[in-house]
Amino acid sequence: MIACTAKQIPRIIKLTLPEKNKFSDSIFGSSQIKKNVQCHKSLSDLEEKAASLLKSLVSMPVQVRKDDKSYFFSEKGRYSRMGFIFIHLSILLILGGGLIGAIWGFDGQMNIVEGKSGDTMFLYGGEGPRKLGFEVRCDKFKVDFYKTGQPKEYKSDLTILENGKKVLSKAIRVNHPLIYKGFKLCQGTYGIAGTDNFQIVVKNKKTGKETVLTLNLMEKTSLPDSKFLFAIAKFMPNYQNHGPAVLGVLIEPEKAHEMLWLFKGHNQQMKDLSFIFKDFDSRYYTGIQVSRSHGVNIVWAGCILLLVGFVLSLFFTHTKVWLRISERKDGCEVKIAASVNRNRKDFEEKLEKLVIRLQAE
Amino acid sequence: MSDTFIISIVTFIYFAAAFSYLISFVFRKKPVAFIALALTVLGIIAQTSAFIIRWIHSYKLGIGHIPLANFYESVTFFSWSIIFIYLVMGVRYKNSLIGALANLFAFILLAYASLSGDMSSQIQPLVPALQSNWLTIHVISCFLGYACFAISFGTSVLYLIRQRFKKNPVNFLPEPEFLDEVTYKMISIGFVLLTLGIITGAAWADHAWGRYWGWDPKETWSLITWLIYAAFLHARLVRGWKGTKMSLLSIFGFLAVVFTYLGVNYVLSGLHSYL
Ligand code: HEM
Repeated sequence: MIACTAKQIPRIIKLTLPEKNKFSDSIFGSSQIKKNVQCHKSLSDLEEKAASLLKSLVSMPVQVRKDDKSYFFSEKGRYSRMGFIFIHLSILLILGGGLIGAIWGFDGQMNIVEGKSGDTMFLYGGEGPRKLGFEVRCDKFKVDFYKTGQPKEYKSDLTILENGKKVLSKAIRVNHPLIYKGFKLCQGTYGIAGTDNFQIVVKNKKTGKETVLTLNLMEKTSLPDSKFLFAIAKFMPNYQNHGPAVLGVLIEPEKAHEMLWLFKGHNQQMKDLSFIFKDFDSRYYTGIQVSRSHGVNIVWAGCILLLVGFVLSLFFTHTKVWLRISERKDGCEVKIAASVNRNRKDFEEKLEKLVIRLQAE
Repeated sequence: MSDTFIISIVTFIYFAAAFSYLISFVFRKKPVAFIALALTVLGIIAQTSAFIIRWIHSYKLGIGHIPLANFYESVTFFSWSIIFIYLVMGVRYKNSLIGALANLFAFILLAYASLSGDMSSQIQPLVPALQSNWLTIHVISCFLGYACFAISFGTSVLYLIRQRFKKNPVNFLPEPEFLDEVTYKMISIGFVLLTLGIITGAAWADHAWGRYWGWDPKETWSLITWLIYAAFLHARLVRGWKGTKMSLLSIFGFLAVVFTYLGVNYVLSGLHSYL
């Protein structure tokens, strides 16, 4: 492709440069499109008419007079020839940029638990960990759901730290990444990393007194008005398909422990106490897709050049028209030569109309 | 009026327009062609209102987004694009057969959208990855491109039929040169739109996933489609090919479009499987 394009470039450049043979006679014999018409009009009448017709068909013509002959030359869309070079060059840019990315770029994932920070990403394709050279902290993660239960939006508030110092804070969402030092951090996935703040309502059936406990896992508390201690030993997000449950442990000093799975929202009994597992907080982790893609800007430049090339190439036509009027005995002879690089049929129809109008009284 | 109800009416309008165009073509009746054009315009106005109604309705449901997000919506938009391209590009050929083709394709797509069992016409919430303005221009440019390719596919098939029955005296199809020219024009416009579609898709992927190209099946197939049409344009511009070989290339290209659009979703799976 390079060879092919390079071979064409000199020819294209030559075609793009201003036309040298604006007023030659030979063109009327050699051109692709030729016309020869007789008009019963004076030279000066025809000159005026030809100039205005050429102006509306192509562009303002240039004109010279040699002896009894008048020459016109009119041209437009010269730069449409460059479209070809732009298109092929842009493809080289895109491939080149892609190659640079394939060689030096890398991407992977890093999962950060809410409130924590990380400085290492795991490359896709099992290529192992890689240090970023800076730290990323997830200050907060939030997910919203549609009524159907599908996630609607998820968002991580990130802070970039260099040597422990805060450099930059930004919230990322899907489609709204953060770019820092060439690394692009995109919101990818999320998940539950841990749970805490289990709320348990304990009611003493004898006294009728209610207490709300807020506990973390394996944290013992004494229950008010009784000799018992209470702790949560385990959490299951979906225990035996009945939803979240905690394993509650009731401890009576010098006696055997009593254990019971407490399902969220249910009222359950141990000894003469009733327990309701009301709620808990879950801590999310945010899954960030990290990529370092070199050469992207080259690719985008290539894309823009490609589109410019298409517009030049497909929507503009390089049109050249030569016209010569020579005086004859009973009027004038008009010779027309033209060349176009595409849409020849359309152009020939238009040229035909020009000829008719030139001959008209 | 619900948008799906309007769409079922539009389906019939496009059918009537295709039929009128065909009558006008076979019996060479100008006034019928005018009626057909009026029906086509009526159809696209009604379909555009259905689109807007659906858009507004999605906001009332609290999941507001432009209706270009699921299979049903994409099939209906494809039919809209074909009519749109016909009205912008095709009408000026002043040939009823092109109008019949465009309306026939639009009709088939809408009939498929309403009748196919595996397509839900419900408005669905948008997953976060699709919530992007890139989605809108990506989908619009791809489908306008596909629409051009659909029309050029039609003219290529007609070209082959025309050449096959060359000696048949009742051959009333348009001149082969004309069909060849329409195929070429449509493909050049479609190619630019497809290129724009691929580029905006890459920009979107870069935004959403941090990489502009991932060799996902849809991406790969769109590249294959693009290369086939690039080959078509080169064969024409560089080699000066015309006629049967070009029609075959164009048909090939359209098969690749169909595979990119449907095959990838049914046969392979990837990021684009939501369409
Ligand atoms: C694979 C390597 C390629 C080669 C060897 C090649 C070669 C050529 C050549 C020799 C021409 C003729 C230019 C002329 O006569 O004016 C041409 C034109 C063209 N090429 Fe390519 N090309 C290649 C790839 C591509 C690709 C991938 C595209 C994709 C868009 C492309 C788009 C075009 C267009 C649009 C033209 C017409 C330009 C015009 O008429 O102004 N080429 N190519």
